Amino acid sequence: MASRSELSAFLESVERRAFKQAVFAVRDEEAALDIVQDAMLRLAEKYGHRPAEELPLLFHRIVQNAIRDWFRRQKVRSLWTTLLSSLSPGRGEDDEQDPLETLQAADGSNTQEAPAEQLERAQVLEIIEQELARLPARQREAFVMRYWEELDVAETARVMGCSEGSVKTHCSRAAHALAAALRARGITL
Amino acid sequence: MNEFQFGDKIRHILNQGLSLDSRKAARLQAARELALARKRPEPVGVVASAGVWVGNMVGDFGGWTGLSLRLLAPIAMLLIGFGAIYTWQQNQRAAEVEEIDAQLLTGDLPIDAYLDRGFQNYLKTRAAEE
Repeated sequence: MASRSELSAFLESVERRAFKQAVFAVRDEEAALDIVQDAMLRLAEKYGHRPAEELPLLFHRIVQNAIRDWFRRQKVRSLWTTLLSSLSPGRGEDDEQDPLETLQAADGSNTQEAPAEQLERAQVLEIIEQELARLPARQREAFVMRYWEELDVAETARVMGCSEGSVKTHCSRAAHALAAALRARGITL
Repeated sequence: MNEFQFGDKIRHILNQGLSLDSRKAARLQAARELALARKRPEPVGVVASAGVWVGNMVGDFGGWTGLSLRLLAPIAMLLIGFGAIYTWQQNQRAAEVEEIDAQLLTGDLPIDAYLDRGFQNYLKTRAAEE
């Protein structure tokens, strides 16, 4: 059974990756923060008593379900928005997001690195995140869980609710698509 | 470069992008603390809870001596009472069966009637008529 400190350490270790995964999926940072918060609450309330080694799989499953729930809610919301849009004045250009707001601040630990290298690294990271977000949802889920969360094929299959063969196929396709997209943008790893 | 090497490189690059601005980091920390506050209390095991229950029972009855006097003695008396009632019921039933047997044996028709030739003739003619 996971103790409070084990649960805390686990959540701290996964929360940022979960946030990024949610951002890849929903492309909205505020929504992604909500999704991670919901997933943390669900894990603690419903599965906080489970052994610590079961927490990663449960948490990934909960995050994936929370992302799907978000898309379902968006579908319903967009239906109502479409229906009601004719009754309300259109939104102005001011609401559009400024891309400068999403730029990452320079990390303090990298002060010894040359600015040009920092910039290049940040650009590569941004492009990889963009291309990951463009992948089909299932391929991205499989790839991220296998290679970022470092789950094995069986664990990924359990989280995704599909066969191990499907996980391998999704991962392979995602890797090839991502590599091709990066090559097309002039990035070689 | 195979798929695993590619995945490994992507992981390293993605891990470099995990730093968040202070607002998002604070939001995640607040979410984590809220989740920990709502963590379900650790359930007490069945065996342990049974032990606690027995301990409470013993304690309530003033230790094992008090337990034997206040709990076991009434239970023993109850069992003796059930035994007595069961025995009495069995005796009653045996007595009823005995009484019925006796009534059959000492019924309206004396058993000597079956030895009487005239009565046997009467039974035969009665059977033939029917």
